[in-house]
Amino acid sequence: METIIEIKDLTFGYSSDQEVLKNINLSINKGEWITILGHNGSGKSTLSKLLIGLLKARNGTIRVDGLLLDENTVYDIRKKIGIVFQNPDNQFVGVTVRDDIAFGLENLQIEREEMIERIDSFSKKVDMFEYLNKEPQQLSGGQKQRVAIAGILAMETDVIIFDEATSMLDPKGRRKIMEYMRKLNEEGTTIITITHDMKEAVESDRIVVLKDGKILKTDTSTNVLNDKATLEQSNLELLLPLELLYYLNENHVDRKELKDYLWQLSLSE
Amino acid sequence: MKNIVIGRYVPGKGFLYTLDPRTKIIALLLLMAGTFIIDELIHMVVAIAMIGIILLIGKISIRRVYLGLRPLLFLLIFTFAFQILFNTQGELLYEMPLYYSPLTIGLVALVVVTWMLTKKYIRFKLIYFLIMVALSLFIFSTLNEPFVFGQGAFTVYEDALQMALFIMLRLIIIVTLSTILTITTKPTDLNLGLESVLKPLKIVRVNTEEIAMIISIALRYIPTLLDEANKIMLAQASRGVDFQEGKLKEKVMQIVSLLVPMFIISFKRSDELANAMEARSFVPGQPRTRLHQLVWKTLDTLVIIFAIGFLFGSIYIRVMV
Repeated sequence: METIIEIKDLTFGYSSDQEVLKNINLSINKGEWITILGHNGSGKSTLSKLLIGLLKARNGTIRVDGLLLDENTVYDIRKKIGIVFQNPDNQFVGVTVRDDIAFGLENLQIEREEMIERIDSFSKKVDMFEYLNKEPQQLSGGQKQRVAIAGILAMETDVIIFDEATSMLDPKGRRKIMEYMRKLNEEGTTIITITHDMKEAVESDRIVVLKDGKILKTDTSTNVLNDKATLEQSNLELLLPLELLYYLNENHVDRKELKDYLWQLSLSE
Repeated sequence: MKNIVIGRYVPGKGFLYTLDPRTKIIALLLLMAGTFIIDELIHMVVAIAMIGIILLIGKISIRRVYLGLRPLLFLLIFTFAFQILFNTQGELLYEMPLYYSPLTIGLVALVVVTWMLTKKYIRFKLIYFLIMVALSLFIFSTLNEPFVFGQGAFTVYEDALQMALFIMLRLIIIVTLSTILTITTKPTDLNLGLESVLKPLKIVRVNTEEIAMIISIALRYIPTLLDEANKIMLAQASRGVDFQEGKLKEKVMQIVSLLVPMFIISFKRSDELANAMEARSFVPGQPRTRLHQLVWKTLDTLVIIFAIGFLFGSIYIRVMV
């Protein structure tokens, strides 16, 4: 498999006495869907900012598609990686949906005719074509986030990072965004999901568990989710089905015991 | 707060809507300059009639223009009063003696106090206020007994009236013209037009593209920030801050309790927005292509010719006639 992002010995801190990320080593394959799972303050969003050169690493290297990230290549690398951020309001640059999708294209100096074509086709892809002339105040959070996705898609990047992109949405909006992630991944886009929510991690190919700036474990989703010890260590909230799974793995239970345990779980939720 | 009327785009049809924003901006400037050059009342009336015709052809409701003019009322009254009181050139038109004595001053003070106490209960405040002013003047001008203190006069000169009238008319024309511009042009188009009109400033190293970008982001975030301000006001109200009432000192505290969180949130927002923009390959100062492009039509040329004609016409009249 071809590697698209290669991170070696990456260390970063906002001030000299503190390290948000410590010796991160990670390689991400082309076409892969990888989740970076971590609690609040684990450094997962910092990692995404480092990847597109919004922050400068203290140590270590990042290679994207063979290109070493530095001052000269940062703009080329941003053409390869797109990010959908957490707050839908704070990444909506245009006055209308159309203008917002156009923003990235204008920056890439795409010709106007091509721009119009791309805006139409990518707004259809996220089901926002009918909303092209709407202003952000007239849209829901989920719709704004879909516009953000269309804006990134239109730039035709190889990699899309979803940096907690669903955490401010309602369940319906979140499901919709998850659907697009799946569809995009099937079409061959490399997807990096950054989240603290295990539900989002379940569908991805691989999971990287981050804790206090260190990688706790990198493995296939199935393996990570089966690893109770790591997940408990990671300060993350376990999913109900997972807890049940662990319980069933560890105990041979009869019906009554199972019933009692289920009650106990549902009450502790 | 969302219903700010001045400077707001009102969707509609008519030739003014189809004009290029550049045309409208340039024509506005030319017409404004023209009205400043005119110094004869009769020509001013012609100019006003012309603007009336523009309003009619452009199918712009007079009510909208009036709403645009309303905030100007205070300024108009102020300049009028200022001219009447201090301009003493030309022929004396009217003179009213004023007598200052303990009696008149006391009576006027009484009138003022009555006004302060009763204004809450009167519906037509402006008319009531004018009646009170007239009453005060009447007191000053008639009661010269007892204890004569001194005497002054309230005078109206010809030039004062003329100047006041001209300033008023000019202000009305300027505001009407700019109201026409803002209600027929979308803020984004206006911004685009401004950017290309200001392009010559690039020679003196003013980055017009960046200014246009800043304006367009400001336009984008005004409604968001208003929403936020509303939310904060509600949050503070639920903690017991009353934004409706209170003395000056309390008002200041209320505004601080609104402004501080607004500033913090805005800074955080702009930080995130800057990240999002950079992540989408925005590099300040780099050339960009544009989705919106302005198209110059024959009608635009005609309008510009008309505006230039108006300016030169008024210069000609001023110099030659």
